[in-house]
Amino acid sequence: MRNSSLKATPAKRKYSTLFTGAWSLLLLAVMILPHAAGNYYIRFFALLFVYVILATGYNIAAGYCGMTTFSAAALYGAGAYASAIAITRYGLPFGVGVLCGILMSCLISLVVSIPAIKVKGDYLALVSIGVLEIVQQIMVGWQGATGGSVGFNIKKWQIFGLPLSLAGKYYAILAVMMLCLLFQRNLVKSRWGRDFMAMRDNEITAGGLGINYPLYRVYGFLFSAALSGLAGAMYASFIGYLSPDSFGFSFTLFVLLMVVVGGSGTLSGPVIGAAIATVLPEFFNASPDLKQIVYGLLLVVLTQVLPGGVVGTIKKRFRAIDDNSFVNADSRKDEFDFGDYKVVSTSETQDILTIGGLTKCYGGLTAVNALDMAIKRGTVHSLIGPNGAGKTTTVNMITGIERPTEGRVAFNGRDITGSRMWDLMPRGVSRTYQHVRLFNGMSVIDNVVVGARLSYSHSLVGALFRSGKMRREERESYEAAMDYLRVIGLGEKLNDAPGNLSSGQQKLLELARALCMKPEMLVLDEPCAGLTETETAQFSDLIAKIRKAGISILLIEHHMSLVMEISDYITVLDYGKKIAEGRPDEVAANPVVRKAYLGVDDEVC
Amino acid sequence: MQQFIFGLANGSIYALMALAIGMVFSTTSIINFCHASVIMLAAMTSYWSMAYFHLPYAAAILIAVVINVAMNMAIYKTCVEKLGALSTNIGWIVTLFGASIIIDNAARMYFGTEPQAYPYLFNGRIVHILGANIMLHEIMMIVISLVVGLAYQLLIQKTRFGRAVRAVSYRHDTARLMGIKSDVTVLFCFGLAGVVAAISGALIAPVTFASYNMMSSIGLKGFAAALIGGLGNTQGAFIGGISLGLIEALIGSYIPASYKDAISFFVMIIVIIFLPGGILGAKFFTKGDSGKEKI
Repeated sequence: MRNSSLKATPAKRKYSTLFTGAWSLLLLAVMILPHAAGNYYIRFFALLFVYVILATGYNIAAGYCGMTTFSAAALYGAGAYASAIAITRYGLPFGVGVLCGILMSCLISLVVSIPAIKVKGDYLALVSIGVLEIVQQIMVGWQGATGGSVGFNIKKWQIFGLPLSLAGKYYAILAVMMLCLLFQRNLVKSRWGRDFMAMRDNEITAGGLGINYPLYRVYGFLFSAALSGLAGAMYASFIGYLSPDSFGFSFTLFVLLMVVVGGSGTLSGPVIGAAIATVLPEFFNASPDLKQIVYGLLLVVLTQVLPGGVVGTIKKRFRAIDDNSFVNADSRKDEFDFGDYKVVSTSETQDILTIGGLTKCYGGLTAVNALDMAIKRGTVHSLIGPNGAGKTTTVNMITGIERPTEGRVAFNGRDITGSRMWDLMPRGVSRTYQHVRLFNGMSVIDNVVVGARLSYSHSLVGALFRSGKMRREERESYEAAMDYLRVIGLGEKLNDAPGNLSSGQQKLLELARALCMKPEMLVLDEPCAGLTETETAQFSDLIAKIRKAGISILLIEHHMSLVMEISDYITVLDYGKKIAEGRPDEVAANPVVRKAYLGVDDEVC
Repeated sequence: MQQFIFGLANGSIYALMALAIGMVFSTTSIINFCHASVIMLAAMTSYWSMAYFHLPYAAAILIAVVINVAMNMAIYKTCVEKLGALSTNIGWIVTLFGASIIIDNAARMYFGTEPQAYPYLFNGRIVHILGANIMLHEIMMIVISLVVGLAYQLLIQKTRFGRAVRAVSYRHDTARLMGIKSDVTVLFCFGLAGVVAAISGALIAPVTFASYNMMSSIGLKGFAAALIGGLGNTQGAFIGGISLGLIEALIGSYIPASYKDAISFFVMIIVIIFLPGGILGAKFFTKGDSGKEKI
């Protein structure tokens, strides 16, 4: 799969052999287990595999999408009951029953996740508890279908009319588990996984990248529910008897424990976590209360002591093994190559962005007052003004973060007033933020690559099966991202966490991400705040290059020397009103500007 | 009438729970998922003080209050404080649930599984109002909750501590720069929530009986009430709690008993979808969104 031109680093090669070896041994062990162990152990491991499927599903929502919910038992139970009812009451074949279970689970996940369009975090946790309780009451109360609290006996597990032996069941579950793990890996190591993680780490920036995060929460939850429902269906056919008690709150906590112990947001976390959480309570079989207390203690202690779980902690030590296989270790070029930029037109007379009568009021305060402005294509247009003049508010209205109270914004002649930010990105606007907003849970290179998401043309199915097209597109965007990183001088730090960078480097990383989106217009909100003199000079060069490539720039900046040097036009705001506009020398000479901006009649810089 | 008073009484318990959840929320913006367990702890400790040490009612409640305050502060110290920024690190959801399991199961181990009859206020005397038989205890539930709510509101609005709470709830670091000990204020709010939990425990236990799982269905309704009214808001807690209690009492007679508990969760989900800030968080009641994160 790996192209010969893509060299892995020695460290990576060493560890990856080690880890691949360990995993293969483990796989071998579980393959021969039914021949070597007694029925008790076969059952034990088959159940463990079911839990791995469930934990994998939960990990997608909780770990990768950042949605901690408590409905896992409900999704699992719904899947189990739906498949059991389909198989037993309606005599449908096993495969159809599983499908019913998955569908039912997805349906319930919609009830949890549709509120998630509007809210997140704590509210979502509460909604999910509510759904869990409701589902449980239905399991008990709807006796006609579920058998109520007496329980429900399921027809013997058959595939194509053939009853399965215990070993057969074991292998069937093992195969499904392997498929699920593969599904998780391919999902996470694709554009989709990055989008989910971006949404988890910083939803506003994710929105700015074109990720419709309310919708993505629903998607993430659907994936998670599908796996939970599948786990439920496997469980139902394997165990042969369902009782509502098995799907209560304590089971939800068990699922949570598996993911927290193993490491939420890691690929192998659910496997390790499920193994630990299943084996550990075996020591407390004599006292179920003590078992629960141990669960509780683990949840309290591990969350604080090992926030990444077992796998997350190991991963931190072996950063090298997380190297992306698409990253080329050899330097291709040290300069920005804007050759592949597709800027629609470069005629300088045309306005790329026009603003008319833009107004924003917060209660009684008018932050921006009837602002008219036009940005010519291919120019650097600076927006300056004293603190509180309404610069960032203006930019936020342009980029869809805030809705204007009044007025119009048009981009490329199309009205974009009040568009949501994820609609703007596909049209060619990208931005950086006044306060750095990076995806801190992702590596430096992934922070850049996530910007390339719109250039992909492969489908979700393509991503899941890692089609040739998907791999080609992935490699292209990683190579492009590497180029951006080298230009900003972070080529060596591709696998670091963004939190380890200096604030200047973080600002540059944001710029690299914005450029990776290949925008027509780039909005930079105080990019040089906190940068050193050298970094500012470097930045100034970068902006000149970007401008040369035909990208229009709207710049907010306080470094007057920089603004005067690189701007084609300057608009000056004060108290939300435009007080001057024009070429830098005109603005600098304008007495009104001097008075408002400097407070005294003095030379500008 | 009987149903109405019953709903009102239950509603005031929900309101008390919502109030205590709001106290913690206002300074930390976290939802104390452990609250129901602490209420249970109060009911159990006061019951055992009365039954085994033959302490008078008032002394038993006092002990419960002291234990609850200590417990809540311990929860803050062990489960919340070390997590750092609570808005970005949502580990508190997990740790607080963990704490709640520990408390519930420890109670089960030490106090047994048998539900115990807990004394009513006024020995369960019944009065006749407008032809309905109403237990004085139910009326006291309503009265005491209102008194607690008013007292808290006064505390927040009129005292130095209240000002500190309001400052901390806006921004921890800035409050600290103003000379307010943010951590101590938060710790105090946890303690105060413990006091309210003890009171609600003593009020609810006669109805549910004292047992380790007495809060299993009520516990979540406190959260529902808090959300319905609007988190961290005294009036909201009461509006949410009482409306939830009334809805349950009035609708409860028309649907099968096994689905009765589902009503409040259903209402909660509907409110979250349509009014994410709760009833008092609706646009009609708020003036702008000054607390929003700056971008």
